[in-house]
Amino acid sequence: MKKTIVISLFSLFLFSNAAMAASSIKAEVNGMVCAFCAKGIEKKLRSLPAAQDVFIDLKQHIVVLELKDGQSVPIEQFKQIIKEAGYDVAEAKLVDQSAASLRTEMAK
Amino acid sequence: MWKYLLAFPATPGFIAIAALASFSIVPQAQAAALMGFADSTMVMGEFGPDYQEMMANYSATVGQAYGVEFMRMRDKNDRTSTISALSYTNLLKRWNFKGGQANFWFTGGIGESHGDDQSGLAYTPSVQFDYETTRLYLLGKLRMVRAPGMNFDSASVQAGFSFYETGFDQTQPWFVLEARTMSNMSPAFQVTPALRFINKNYFMEVGMTNPFTPEDRMPRVNLMFVF
Repeated sequence: MKKTIVISLFSLFLFSNAAMAASSIKAEVNGMVCAFCAKGIEKKLRSLPAAQDVFIDLKQHIVVLELKDGQSVPIEQFKQIIKEAGYDVAEAKLVDQSAASLRTEMAK
Repeated sequence: MWKYLLAFPATPGFIAIAALASFSIVPQAQAAALMGFADSTMVMGEFGPDYQEMMANYSATVGQAYGVEFMRMRDKNDRTSTISALSYTNLLKRWNFKGGQANFWFTGGIGESHGDDQSGLAYTPSVQFDYETTRLYLLGKLRMVRAPGMNFDSASVQAGFSFYETGFDQTQPWFVLEARTMSNMSPAFQVTPALRFINKNYFMEVGMTNPFTPEDRMPRVNLMFVF
């Protein structure tokens, strides 16, 4: 029993650290093919108080919201913003990367 | 089959087939988007020697927009007509795919017409279907423009391709070919090849209607801004 509690606490510690280390929400967005039409996504995400940077890649259908240190945005809120801009989120996850590093990575 | 075609990459062969298919449907120069995002304002205009149109709308939510429109037409008998109207745009259906987007729109205006002979109530309902990827663009549109003593109904198809893919912050150039028929205009059948430039802040199209028949040749410019 004691061992189970220790393992659980250790897992929780690791998970918390991972969540805290995550600095961006990266999402694959369906229907996003035109910069003029997708401008709403960038405008709405940049207006979030927790937003540090926003990166959009039309070719790979990726939207990245980099968060300010110690700040967070619920994934569901993020998805709702994309939906209100007229698009569908296929997948969204927290990643431990900045928008700039993802931009560089995708340009390769 | 359609599912396969919609997911198919925009190869030159596919573009050619899609363009031919588009022109085979019975048939106005418009962009895929007829409104902006939630809580945004869109301004658009088309400018040619015989036809000018300006429209502004506000979208409180994605899918519905309210606005105003103004049209000025010079018909085949050199008579000038104008229409000022309140407009409503509804995104009836949107399909978001991994590599593309398709939309079915309704736009309608109701207002007042002024002509050389008659004036009165004007109405301008239209439906539009469009499909777009980062490399391919197809559109079909039917529109009624009616008022006492006035009929400028139109049907149009557009097909286009982008020269190359660009980043979100860059301007993407496209080539777009449009075929349009418009009642009581001269010429009634118009073919307009155009260069389109799409940026996240603007949409601009510059074309030449009926470029190969000197007596019918007309420049045309389309502009759109969203803010």
